[in-house]
Amino acid sequence: MALTIPSPQPTSQSPPFQLRRLPQDHYIDALRWLPQLSALHRHILLATFDSDTSSSSLQILTYTPSTPNSQPPNLPLQSSYPTSSRITSLKTLLTPQSPKPLIAASTISGSLLFLTADSVNGSLDFGFSVTEKGFHRGPISGIDASENGSLSVGEDGRINLVRIGNGEGGSFQRVFDSNGLVSYSAVKWASPFEFVTGGLGYSLHWWDQRRPGGPVSQFKGNWSSGATSGIVHSIDIHPSRKHTCLAGGSSGTVFAWDLRWQQQPIILSRAGTTDAYSPSESEVWEVQYDNYTHSSNTRNFSSSRVLPAMICSEDGILAVIEQNEVPMELLAEPCAVNSFDIDKQNPSDVICSLEWESIAILTRS
Amino acid sequence: MPGMTSDSGDQNNSLIPHSPNAQPITYPLHHGLKPPISRLSLSWARGNTLRVTVLRLPQPSSGGDEEAGGRVVEVKLSNNGDGELDDAQWRRIAYGSVTPFALLQSRKNSVSTLSKISSLDNREWWQYIMEYNKEINSLLGGPKLSPGFAIEDPKTVLKAVKKPTCLKAAWELMEIFYADQQSQSWIPERLLDWLADYNCLLSGTQPTVHSKLVDFQKELVAQQSVEDHPKYWEAISSAVAIGWLDIGVKLLRLHGSYDFDQLGSRETENGLVEAVAVLISKMPRLRPELEPDKLGECYKTKPDFMKAWEKWRAQITKLDCSGFWLQCEHHRTRDGLKSILQIMLGNSTGLSNATLQWMELYIAHFLYIRPFTSGLESMYNLAQKCMQIKPVSDHHKLTGLLIGILGENPEAVLVECSRSFGSWMMVHAGELLTAGNIQAELLLHEQRKLLGGICIEELNRLIYAQVLCSHALTWQIAPIYLSSCIKQGMGLLETVLCKQALQHNQILLKSLEICRLYELDSISSNIMKITGVHDWKHGKKGSGVFWLQQAQDEVRLNRIAKQLFDFVGKSVSDESFKQWEGLIELLGSESGSAGGLEFLNKYRDFRRSLHQVYSGMDTDAAKKAAEALISLMKNPSTPQRFWLPILFDSLKLFNWSERPLLNVSQTNLLLNKLQELSMAKLQPDFVDADLAPEALNSVRIAIATNLGRAILEE
Repeated sequence: MALTIPSPQPTSQSPPFQLRRLPQDHYIDALRWLPQLSALHRHILLATFDSDTSSSSLQILTYTPSTPNSQPPNLPLQSSYPTSSRITSLKTLLTPQSPKPLIAASTISGSLLFLTADSVNGSLDFGFSVTEKGFHRGPISGIDASENGSLSVGEDGRINLVRIGNGEGGSFQRVFDSNGLVSYSAVKWASPFEFVTGGLGYSLHWWDQRRPGGPVSQFKGNWSSGATSGIVHSIDIHPSRKHTCLAGGSSGTVFAWDLRWQQQPIILSRAGTTDAYSPSESEVWEVQYDNYTHSSNTRNFSSSRVLPAMICSEDGILAVIEQNEVPMELLAEPCAVNSFDIDKQNPSDVICSLEWESIAILTRS
Repeated sequence: MPGMTSDSGDQNNSLIPHSPNAQPITYPLHHGLKPPISRLSLSWARGNTLRVTVLRLPQPSSGGDEEAGGRVVEVKLSNNGDGELDDAQWRRIAYGSVTPFALLQSRKNSVSTLSKISSLDNREWWQYIMEYNKEINSLLGGPKLSPGFAIEDPKTVLKAVKKPTCLKAAWELMEIFYADQQSQSWIPERLLDWLADYNCLLSGTQPTVHSKLVDFQKELVAQQSVEDHPKYWEAISSAVAIGWLDIGVKLLRLHGSYDFDQLGSRETENGLVEAVAVLISKMPRLRPELEPDKLGECYKTKPDFMKAWEKWRAQITKLDCSGFWLQCEHHRTRDGLKSILQIMLGNSTGLSNATLQWMELYIAHFLYIRPFTSGLESMYNLAQKCMQIKPVSDHHKLTGLLIGILGENPEAVLVECSRSFGSWMMVHAGELLTAGNIQAELLLHEQRKLLGGICIEELNRLIYAQVLCSHALTWQIAPIYLSSCIKQGMGLLETVLCKQALQHNQILLKSLEICRLYELDSISSNIMKITGVHDWKHGKKGSGVFWLQQAQDEVRLNRIAKQLFDFVGKSVSDESFKQWEGLIELLGSESGSAGGLEFLNKYRDFRRSLHQVYSGMDTDAAKKAAEALISLMKNPSTPQRFWLPILFDSLKLFNWSERPLLNVSQTNLLLNKLQELSMAKLQPDFVDADLAPEALNSVRIAIATNLGRAILEE
């Protein structure tokens, strides 16, 4: 919910972009661009929930970039795959073994689905699923997929790894189980063996599969002296800077945690502080490094400087933030922006899902 | 049966119309459970849904307990809307109207505070209202496409347009009379435009000009010389009568005399047809402008219009009396054209014959008999007269609304809105009603004892907010409306938030965000407490502690601390302590943060340093461990039951061979603790540590030895 509260801090003027809002007839739980093989076929993957029938599904929509004077795109539905329960997190992956992008989707009932998408005709094919009872208890809160496998974490405190692509579909490996003493809300691969999890109290845990039994390194955001703390909702790690982990969470907080200077996180945004700009005052639902925005301060560009990142928040903000710079607000919606995705191949294009059953497509120029 | 009157009589007696012999509706349940089903329980869920719990007989578990013992399914009872808009469309309207509504409220508030100093700026105010009106109107449907000519096909008289909705039609009626100040001087023309857009909605049971034209268009395709058909002339008369001049002219130009091969032989006839067509298209209109494809000549001021009107009338009369009619050999053409001229001259029988419903006749009267009608009273009288000529056999919601508006009866308008368009309309149209109409404002803003001291406006908003709350996707916008209810809004908002089902983290965080926006701190701490206890009970201990900490709930944290120490106490000496690290990390080290739980943090530090002591024989490490031990024992939050185990674990420190690690006062402190402990053993609620009985003795001896060595050293 965002209405009536204006953005309290200054934001820099954003460059011109084209924006289209497309109302849908159902709630959007998650969305992604589908990796494309040719410039002709672009697809958007939606995880939807129809409240009238209480049914959820994965949908592929065709996206045709429009020229300025043509009709707005209407995103025709290409294919749909009904899922047994609502989707909590969605990841896509292109593997060298297959031309078809792999889709990993976690559900609110604690199972993990793997599908393949045909990016030419936009069809969805079921691959396999992990639904065993011991997999997760309760909803899976975050997943990340890479060639090393699909990691899933949940509030139940379990971290599971599902290997992909060697024919043993459906079996999983328990990386850690905290028995509910710690809840995880986000996960991200850092290297073939390392990954980061995020959770309550702005905590980040760095794991190394070669050193099992517990996190290798821990971070807890103690900057909030006093009672109010928060939750990390989303993590991103840039492939060129694997030692730095970007996290977004409650109270408009976005920070970077550098393994080399573990005790000093770089706070990029946080509500109620004077030392960082904050475009949002509420939950930051997703963070992603934004390859499209070039740092405006290239002379100061050094490896210690955090790359520009895009965030979306409960108070309706979609913005690009940069270290020590005024944030650039792209959208200020009256409702929450629940998730977004930057097209990897066309980083100028961003889709985001809005709380009021619609999606918005931004084309930056 | 004259349905109307008896129906409304029934409705007065009971709130919900009840029909005794209605067929029961069957809703199939898809619970997917194998029989036998032992219990079934029903309760209301959100909104129009029933929650059905289906339970099986408890089966003796036979190894693989794959079969669920029961299931909860929700059954959605059919929605009772009129089907004009489906649920998703309604939600879209609900979402879209939030921003304009909120903006108007905040402007209203700023105006009302300003108006105490200076009278409110009228023009600015009406601008706000029109902005609001435009935003809402655009939600109800795309830009209007009025029936008109398709240039491509000469035989398509009416454009195929998507059927408009009654909701939009009703909104535009409200706009014409309550919101748009600029159109006050040309309301008859606005009504004409309105009827052009929504005439098709009125043809439910009775034909309208629109339905007549649609029927005629179907026949038109197959016909050769249209002028031979009486229906052709009727269609033109009707179209002209209600001001659809472009359609009238287009139809006239389909006349056979325009054909190339006929032009020679039917010159006079064609001249007459064209003369009528030109006169129709030159009709003076009292309005500022016309859409580009509409016909007529616009006059902004009454004197100009009057002059043009007289001139135009004179031209018609002149044509009517012209000698060319005698030379016209085609009788149907002659009669048809003559009757069109009669309509344009305002012949009341002609108008009555050309129109089908009272509203059409009403418009025709405005156009051709009383073009200077203004003021609601005379408009109302005229409407009454038209209704007498063309009586209505069934009640249409749009005519009901129009009569209410013309009769200057805001109560009737509200009743019609409520009955036909629901709570959304009540709230949003209420803003238009009260914008400038003092009578309506009094009606809506008067505080009523019968309603518990609130006014009708607030009641409407409360009802609408409840409708919004009844749906899982719209409940989040209800606070916007509730916050505009001065008396009961916040109370209802608190109830809504307290009753929110918080199964999922996202919903929880969204609810907390609403609490933050509306500064409902006590509610948000309640929600956190509920979540904390729920998570704690359901095995998510870390999350439970986190939420209770957020809520600063000392009482529950203390209780939880006791349980937590039980777990920790058991695992005190084994490796599994490691898995508690995450939780302890979460608890933080600030003292007083949470009922004694900070002890765990200190205890963790102590165990860590002790661990180093056991792995090596470093005196510095041992010194550190001893310090940690003392700080732990000094801390009042260290539970008594941990004293002995901690001391027992530290035996090695007391017997450190190099030198005594604790000085005399420190050792005395430990001895005092031991003393306290043996006193506490007499208390009934004492919890004994799981240690060997000789543990106490060995600790006592070790501390005594350390004391001796420390005295010697000093």
